[in-house]
Amino acid sequence: MAIQLYLDRGTFVHRLHPTVKVIALFVMFWSVYWVDNPIALLPIGIFMLWVAQLTGSWRNFYRYRWYFIILVFTTTIVWLFFYRQGTPLINLPFVHVSRGSLVYGLGRGIKLAELLGASVLFLSTTRVEEFTVGLAKLGVSYRVGFAISLAFRLVPLFIDSAMTIVDAQKLRGYDFEKGGLFERMRRYVTVVIPVFMSALRRANNMAMALEARGFGLRNNPTTLIEYPVMPADVVAGLTLFAIATGYFLIYYTGYGAITPG
Amino acid sequence: MNGLRLMWRNTRMVVLCAISAALYAAVLVPFKVVPLIPGVTELRPANAIPVVCSFLFGPAAAWGSAIGNMIGDFFGGASPGDIFGFFANLVYGLVPFKVWETIGGGESPVPRSPLGLAKYVFACLLASVLCADLVGWGDNLLAIRPFAMLGNVIILNNMASAMVLSPFILAAVYPRVRKGRMLYQDVMPELTPPPAALRVAGIALLMIGEGGAWALGNLLSTGYWVPAFLPAWMNAAPHDKSIAILVSPLILLAFAGLALM
Repeated sequence: MAIQLYLDRGTFVHRLHPTVKVIALFVMFWSVYWVDNPIALLPIGIFMLWVAQLTGSWRNFYRYRWYFIILVFTTTIVWLFFYRQGTPLINLPFVHVSRGSLVYGLGRGIKLAELLGASVLFLSTTRVEEFTVGLAKLGVSYRVGFAISLAFRLVPLFIDSAMTIVDAQKLRGYDFEKGGLFERMRRYVTVVIPVFMSALRRANNMAMALEARGFGLRNNPTTLIEYPVMPADVVAGLTLFAIATGYFLIYYTGYGAITPG
Repeated sequence: MNGLRLMWRNTRMVVLCAISAALYAAVLVPFKVVPLIPGVTELRPANAIPVVCSFLFGPAAAWGSAIGNMIGDFFGGASPGDIFGFFANLVYGLVPFKVWETIGGGESPVPRSPLGLAKYVFACLLASVLCADLVGWGDNLLAIRPFAMLGNVIILNNMASAMVLSPFILAAVYPRVRKGRMLYQDVMPELTPPPAALRVAGIALLMIGEGGAWALGNLLSTGYWVPAFLPAWMNAAPHDKSIAILVSPLILLAFAGLALM
């Protein structure tokens, strides 16, 4: 089971400094956060699609296609229950359908889909080690960064181990889909315990290996790979600043808001 | 709470943190039993892992739970609300062992008697409610999703896993980890809990804070209670302002309780 989204395409976005990529993710979140109106959310959506085209990330977007659709649909429906404003088109005890609630719900759905799109783009163009370098440059302790990157690296190993156990149990005739909701959950005990025990066996050896290599002796260890700041990083940084400022101005001038109606 | 900072100095705890995170994410990503709200959350057997790890690895499990959830979010779509998800999972891994230090009486957390089971349920319930409060409050503050939606589903989700799966995993794993001297008390014996009176006061504050936040969050986000002392524009959907004003102090109270423990 492939869980890594990184696509080694070598585009200029892939080559950007890790800190710029982490800031880019933040700018996408920031920009999307300020506006509610679906129309105001369109430009950043188009920008993300352009970056997806540029970086060859369509494969990952295709992988998440149903998730995008379900996210927009479910979010729009949910806000019909909670956004009880505007002239009602349909007004039931729990559901309040008005132009305002529909536009608001759709806006929230698009917003969440764009946030998902931003994280898919980030993961399609950023390696785990780049992510931790980016965090370290932003002031996160290298021990925390190490724990994050180690965890990222261990996940596929543990998933493989879990899938092997699932297959072995199925071969013995164990049915994970049998029974009610809680019975089905309980059946995963037979998977989790072996995975847990094999993980613990690794922990001791890993700690000894790390200590033998001097982990934790210095607060600012040197790194094998250096990431110099290039002119493309400056251009990308300025572009991101312009997007962040632009979206704040859309909010500030009121163009990003919706009116209950 | 000091343990959350001190654990980063201990290499073994850093490794246990990464292992807890990877285990959580490894079960989180592929095994989703039933979608509770499509595209938003699903019944996840993985939610049993932070509880188990909390009793075993203490503060390392708290960080592991937060990092594991972050990794899971990256594969299911990140959003600004995930910052709250990070801290919500941190407390989901922190509260069980902290509460157990006070009510456990030095016994194993594996429930073997009705009293032991009651204590176990109490510890898990406190953790689940605070986790749900933080996500519901945070998402509603950012006007992404209403409190009532996630605030209740997360409690159900966490408690289902903690009741159906965790006791079985704990029963199998806890004696082995204790024998291998890998419990957090063995790895970091310097982590001593504060005086009992402070811890009891902490639990009381935690209960009042998180219980009040849960009740108010539900009432405000559904519009069943419209505080007359707030101006109308503050009470308007998506209720982010009224939740910010009324629920935030209760969340702070819960954290004050946690700090005392």
